[in-house]
Amino acid sequence: MRADIVRTYKDIHSWVGIISGLALFIAFYAGAITMFETPLQRWASAPSTLPAAVALDDAPRLAEAMIAAHPEAARRYIVHVETNPETPARVSWSTGGRGEEGPQVLYGASFAEDGTLVSERLDVSPVAQLVDILHQQIGLTIDHEIAMPIMGAICLLYAIAIVSGIIALLPSMVKDLFALRFGKNLKRMWLDVHNALGLFSVPFHLVMALTALIFAFHDQIYDIQDAIVYEHRLDDQWAAARPPLPQPGEGAQMLAPSQLLARLSEQAPGFTPTAIEYRAAPNGAMLTQIAGYDPRYGMRAPTYGFATVDPYSGRVLQDDYLPGHQTGWVAVVTQFFTLHFGSYGGDPIRWAYFFLGLGGAFIFYTGNLLWIEARRRRITRDNPETPQKLSTRILGSLTIGVALGCVAGISTTIAAAKWLPGHVDDLNAAHTWIYYAVFLAAIGWAFLRGPARGSVELLWACAATTALIPLSTLLGAAGATDAWVWRDASILVDVVAIAGVACFALFARVTAHRIAHGPRDSIWSAHAMRETPPQPDAQNVSA
Amino acid sequence: MTGAAKLTSRNWFGKATAGLILGFAVAIGVSALFAHLTPGGLTPSSGKAQLNMWIVAPIWAGVLSFCFLFRDGKSAWLKLGAATFAIYALLYGGRWLIGL
Repeated sequence: MRADIVRTYKDIHSWVGIISGLALFIAFYAGAITMFETPLQRWASAPSTLPAAVALDDAPRLAEAMIAAHPEAARRYIVHVETNPETPARVSWSTGGRGEEGPQVLYGASFAEDGTLVSERLDVSPVAQLVDILHQQIGLTIDHEIAMPIMGAICLLYAIAIVSGIIALLPSMVKDLFALRFGKNLKRMWLDVHNALGLFSVPFHLVMALTALIFAFHDQIYDIQDAIVYEHRLDDQWAAARPPLPQPGEGAQMLAPSQLLARLSEQAPGFTPTAIEYRAAPNGAMLTQIAGYDPRYGMRAPTYGFATVDPYSGRVLQDDYLPGHQTGWVAVVTQFFTLHFGSYGGDPIRWAYFFLGLGGAFIFYTGNLLWIEARRRRITRDNPETPQKLSTRILGSLTIGVALGCVAGISTTIAAAKWLPGHVDDLNAAHTWIYYAVFLAAIGWAFLRGPARGSVELLWACAATTALIPLSTLLGAAGATDAWVWRDASILVDVVAIAGVACFALFARVTAHRIAHGPRDSIWSAHAMRETPPQPDAQNVSA
Repeated sequence: MTGAAKLTSRNWFGKATAGLILGFAVAIGVSALFAHLTPGGLTPSSGKAQLNMWIVAPIWAGVLSFCFLFRDGKSAWLKLGAATFAIYALLYGGRWLIGL
């Protein structure tokens, strides 16, 4: 490899990394947490005040009563096969949301003991969804249409960073690959960690960069392809995939849910259905879409796949998105989705993605540290008394403020899920405000205290805010607060949080050691020299 | 590319804009050729249409990542421009020839 090519790509790697690193940190840290969206949703969901769910085969009677009282539910409602704390109602419907006015509001229905209809707004905790949006929109909870192109631009930089990082590493790869040199040379150590983590997760990062690039720009690409590839007949392509509509005969009745599921299970053995969505088809008949999972196969959505089924005969009308039944081109495309979501292979893959995601966040964090460290050495090579430049100081504060602020903000807003219900009307707004309040306060603190002291204090803040998660559960369990405790797998949230507290506390202690005893010409030294250095004697005494 | 002139990151702007803009044009053009030339052609199919859209990502990101190997901005714009022209000539010329 020619030295000038390596040099060029090294420069490019530093610059695209420094521009996109912090946004990618947020995307990866939040993304790692979304791997456990289901337990988190359970952990955060308050008990519903709705009467106990009716039996599955009473769902049609309930739906009928619900439609009589709320005619808007007739065009689309869901019968939940599994009911649980996060989906407490057997039958639910929603207003607003996609393609309709206002935000989506979810309602659930049940029968009271005397057989009268009870329906109410379901306050499903929005906190898991908020973490997912922070992940998808690199921490910007602004309008999706504005956030996505920004995310797409970050993705392009990310792709360049991966390629340039590999090229920059090629000449020394064999020598450096298995070397982790923990020693006096801190830059060497960070570089070794950064390189090893990066190189071993290249396939994961390529998948993430390319899939996220598509998630960012798919609408725009389709619009342009409509003109250039399909000569304005892209709609014909979609029309081909529309399932045939059910053609029930005169007076035909829909199957009871249990019969419908039995028919589906004959056609798709091993598929575990979770929800049946009933929709009014254009021809006046009803059409169902049955969602569920099958851990043996990849799934199109993060936690489910689905089949379109004729509710009168139980025949599968379309299996394009049914796990294990996909064929041809659409099966290939589903692979891209599953590779991004980790929705193949069940829990082991989810854990692998969790650690790869955290590893990714760590790569971006160490990338910024290396940038700062390289400049420190360039500046003080000739004269160790030269103060560090303002630019590295700003980047240092920004790096710890944004990264640790994101961590502390997410922890705090998750913990708040156990406290907010019943006290605020708009849960989503409350969670968003809490996240940003902590996030922005951390950035402010990092600049106020400087990168050295700020990093130690913010790491302790990360440990403290993360400790609020199991603490909220404990207080609820002890009966000290209104917080609920689900005695099930959602305890995982508390266990992972406790492990997180231990890690942040350890990082805080190691960092405290460095700022006290590390190289003094670094911005990470508590004795860091300012633009006008304090008296050298006073410094020696305090050391 | 000749080996005489040393590659540098200083003249990145011309190369990066060529990679970004012409890289996208190349990716769309290649996706069109892919749509026509792979089994099924443009016969309506939602799976195929989705895949045609997905292949834009690796090509666009690939051109953008490797465009820094061009000697300078002018060379990047000229060579990627020529590639873009060739791809679209093939696409529209091919369509005209077989009377689509």
